Amino acid sequence: MTCPEVRELLPEHAVGVLPAPEREAVERHLRWCAGCRKEAAELAQAAAIVGFALPPAPAPERLADRVVEAVHAAIGPRGSGRRLRTAAAGAIAALVAVAGLGWGAVMAGRAERFAERAARAEQRQAEALAEFRRVLDRVVPGTDIPQQETFLGQLGPVHGGLGGGAVLQLASPTRIDLVIVMVSGLRPEAPDALPYRVRLANAAGETIRVGRITELDADGAADVIRQFPNRELAGFTEVTVVDAQGEVVLAGSIDQVPGN
Amino acid sequence: MEGLLAGNDDAVRTLYARYARPIFTLGLRLLGSPEAAEELTQDVFLAAWRKAAHFDPARGRLSTWLMTIAHNLAVDRLRRETGVRRPHLVFVDEVPDVAGADEDEHVLERDAAVRALASLSEAERRLLARAYFGGLTAREIAEADGIPLGTVKTRLRTALIKVRRANQDKERPA
Repeated sequence: MTCPEVRELLPEHAVGVLPAPEREAVERHLRWCAGCRKEAAELAQAAAIVGFALPPAPAPERLADRVVEAVHAAIGPRGSGRRLRTAAAGAIAALVAVAGLGWGAVMAGRAERFAERAARAEQRQAEALAEFRRVLDRVVPGTDIPQQETFLGQLGPVHGGLGGGAVLQLASPTRIDLVIVMVSGLRPEAPDALPYRVRLANAAGETIRVGRITELDADGAADVIRQFPNRELAGFTEVTVVDAQGEVVLAGSIDQVPGN
Repeated sequence: MEGLLAGNDDAVRTLYARYARPIFTLGLRLLGSPEAAEELTQDVFLAAWRKAAHFDPARGRLSTWLMTIAHNLAVDRLRRETGVRRPHLVFVDEVPDVAGADEDEHVLERDAAVRALASLSEAERRLLARAYFGGLTAREIAEADGIPLGTVKTRLRTALIKVRRANQDKERPA
């Protein structure tokens, strides 16, 4: 759907009457198009103003207590920030499991070392999450990362090259987004290829730098972790690893459909 | 807002005191029963708490943010319950009463909303109410009124832009 097509539908989207197929197409577009997203937000704000125009009906007395109790119940016990770490560790385990399926040739004989590496990456990722957790604990105590905000992808070699990789992405409307990219089987004996650059791109061709790989171990493995406090990763599903010569060596897609 | 983030009782009650009535009213209008409106109100405050970190005051006011959550949740609920591809809202053939602006009213947002709606023509006001409160699509309105679909879409956009401008003018210092 093009921007003019989307913009024509935004007023109906703002007042909530856009039929499902168009609504879904519009929302897909809005994930990556900042210009249309701005217009959608402005129209939605106008629509919300209309919502205040009704002559107010009195709300039942007991409702205030019910709302306060519901918010309390949702907060849960203090200190449950630990659950976040468990969820992240679970996601990493899933990442390794999923990646293992498609990596036969690359990972043959390396699975054990990869598991160690995954454990180290998990540790580093836990460290990277420390700040994230601190913010979350302050903002939304006891939160947990829902399954539908955790996405996985696989990287495969391009142009008959070597190697593979896996990607874990947290793309959430309410939390700080995060990407972990793990690669293996790149050529440690080709120092000219370093540094590798890891990028994310969306359907519109916008790119985000995830990070640089400046060193590979003997297995040609490395990992890159980055948080995006000021940016949403929804729509950024295409992952590429590019060598120092500008050649794409690994590429893959993250499946951002919840529940997969 | 900081208080809501921390789940602070007083903060939740303050927000509730200010916004529960219009949210409950919207629920009553769209969902048709006090029970459903109560559930909606509770869901809105829960959703607001969950999404609190995402609220950016630079990008919009708290009141419109909450009302957007309320309308989206109400429409989602109708879609889910009716299992149809578009909402079947309770259609009340009634346009918000512009003349009622000076009644005993402590909710500032309603005053602003009524003034913003007063900047529209009668036809624009009615169109907006039929879509926002009535759940009629642009196509349905076009067919009912025997006017081109493009015209309805343009009018809907114009009406929303006018509401927004009227609200901005009100906020701008004299």
